[in-house]
Amino acid sequence: MIKIKTTDRYNITTLRSFMTNILSLFAALVVIGIIFLIAGVNPFYAISEIFSGSFGSFYGIKETITKAIPLILIGAGLTLAFRAKFWNIGAEGQMLMGAVFATWTGLTFGEALPSYIIVPLIFLAGFIGGGLWGIIPAILKIKYAINEVISTLMLNYICAEILTLLIVGPWKGKTRFGFPGTDNLPDSAILGLIPGSRIHYATLILAVICAIVLGVIIYKTRFGYEARVVGENPDAGRYAGINFLKTSLILMAISGGLAGVAGVGEVAGIHHHLGYPASISSGYGFTAIIVAWLAKLNPLYTIISGIFFAGILVGGDAIQISLGLPAATVEIVNGTLLIFLIMGDYFLNHKITLQFSFKH
Amino acid sequence: MKKWMVLVLLCSIFCLGFSADAFAGDKKLKAGFIYVGPVGDYGWSHAHDLGRQYAEKKFPWLETIFVESVGESDSARIIDRLIQQQKCDVVFTTSFGYMEETIAAGTRYPDKLFMHCSGFKRSANVGTYFGDLYQMYYLNGIMAGALTKTNKIGYVAAFPIPELVRHIDAFALGIKAANPAAKLNVKWIYAWYGPDKAKEAAEALIAEGCDALAFTEDTPAVVEVGQSHSEKGKQIYTFSHYSPMQPYGVDSVVSGQLMNWGGMYAEILESIHNKTWNNKDLWWLAREKAAILGGSETDMINPKFVKALKEAMLDTKDSGKISAYDLVVKRYEQMKQGVDIFDPFTGPISDNKGTLKIKAGEKASKGDLLGIMYYVDNVEGAIPN
Repeated sequence: MIKIKTTDRYNITTLRSFMTNILSLFAALVVIGIIFLIAGVNPFYAISEIFSGSFGSFYGIKETITKAIPLILIGAGLTLAFRAKFWNIGAEGQMLMGAVFATWTGLTFGEALPSYIIVPLIFLAGFIGGGLWGIIPAILKIKYAINEVISTLMLNYICAEILTLLIVGPWKGKTRFGFPGTDNLPDSAILGLIPGSRIHYATLILAVICAIVLGVIIYKTRFGYEARVVGENPDAGRYAGINFLKTSLILMAISGGLAGVAGVGEVAGIHHHLGYPASISSGYGFTAIIVAWLAKLNPLYTIISGIFFAGILVGGDAIQISLGLPAATVEIVNGTLLIFLIMGDYFLNHKITLQFSFKH
Repeated sequence: MKKWMVLVLLCSIFCLGFSADAFAGDKKLKAGFIYVGPVGDYGWSHAHDLGRQYAEKKFPWLETIFVESVGESDSARIIDRLIQQQKCDVVFTTSFGYMEETIAAGTRYPDKLFMHCSGFKRSANVGTYFGDLYQMYYLNGIMAGALTKTNKIGYVAAFPIPELVRHIDAFALGIKAANPAAKLNVKWIYAWYGPDKAKEAAEALIAEGCDALAFTEDTPAVVEVGQSHSEKGKQIYTFSHYSPMQPYGVDSVVSGQLMNWGGMYAEILESIHNKTWNNKDLWWLAREKAAILGGSETDMINPKFVKALKEAMLDTKDSGKISAYDLVVKRYEQMKQGVDIFDPFTGPISDNKGTLKIKAGEKASKGDLLGIMYYVDNVEGAIPN
């Protein structure tokens, strides 16, 4: 009889962690290669198309960075919440609420104000919108012990319905001829792009700064320490007199706020008006959960994991366009990559031994 | 341990660096198609893809490529990829939600052509095209009005936009022509592709007493609901939408509307090939054979219901007493000759709040139809706002 025994591993070195990720990636590519082979496509050609589609060409890099912007912002915010074991599954809604607040601000004040005032203002509005939407589940959790996984997830749907209500109702634009959607933001509120691309650089710079600042907050400040204690050892936190409500409120305001800022970038940088939820976000709030996880909950690393994951999403186009495989193949590839990366993480943290015992 | 890890690393780098040779380009016209749903949706995207295949088979000088399931928020990226990497000469964007990005792409690539389906914004190198089915909804309305026993008819609708309101109104006008006592009830499901919601809405309408259902949603869900009730002995009449769905409801589907994009794509691509293209809006109806009456590829009307329709006698102004079947055939022929001969939106037409919208003897203009946002007088309720 064979027994599988798992024991926790300690003293995980950075090199080992890095090599585990590389190996997991490689193992995933082997499996993906087999899938391509079954589909009748040369796996080397297919995989090279995916990566050249995202990192191997000027076009690909531009698009990868465009898609990485919201992923980095939301992912960085999520690392803070996840550190405190606050399972925020509601970044999608927080992002949309940021977009709602920013659109209102831009449409209301944008005409009258110059760019250098209105742009910071819409970012602030987006942060407030996302932050407010983020602290609702924090209050529910600390005051009423309501599970935040449920509340944050459900708030996504509520936010999407509110947004839909606004664009088919009171906010429906005069320039839309009866179709749902707000009018375009005034020019002063629209974010500049790096010429020849769709990279709204203001949000990109903000994303990088936020990731760095959050890294400092988590590892170098008292608040960051408290947040980690709340997550890792709540009992010790209580003895030490940490105010759980205050800590949770602040960290969810930041986590939701950054998602809100990502929403501002999408509306003011790319779409220029508020439309149906699906036309504003292609599930960034959910994808960013994976980004945060791949970054090992270190906000600094979300810059890398955000770009990596954006690359996979953008490179996925190539599967359809160059190889003529159905769109669902992209999801199979992405899913396979994730499963292997998460499995790798498990093997990194656990030692698996097989025990053989013989009985008569 | 490290040695083999390095080996694996080197291997993977080698694999990633491996790149197949790009094949040499030829002089074909290359057209890219962007679809909002999967090509297997059996509705909108499926119909467009049949049109694409038809055009590609027809013209040896044409090469096409398509991308399916493209979310509205990703459309700009896909357009860029089709132009920059795939070197497409023309891109067809086949969802209303792609409108802004298509116009923006026209500005970004002034030497390429773009065709946006169902939108209203055009520019020097961005054209619009649409095949509309409202006439077919009218014909189906005649049949629904003639067949209903409860005088309550239902409609499962995707989104409250002018296109849908136009179809609902046309269906209602058809019902009125056959049966002035019947009323139309609408349920909105807020999804183009939502078989679960469509099923729920259809069940709710049946529970409220409706025995005939039309719909605008990209799956045969409503037809399946009608079929299951009809099999159990409660006859529900349904009208297939966009693709031939009669096989999903042999005892329920009376007729329906079919869209043929093939001819339209062929004409657009030929005009681009011949350099006669312009950005004039193309709006194809029954006359251009884009809109076709039927729920299957072979029958215009399901043979199972032909007898009942031939026995249902109606009064009309222009042809006196006539059976529902003959009226449908007659109106269809008139529609094929053009909207000047017969159009459902001919006054007097009032909205359901009692306001006269189209005066007696007048016809709604194309602009009126494209922006229509009121229910005609035999539709119950109000358009959600």
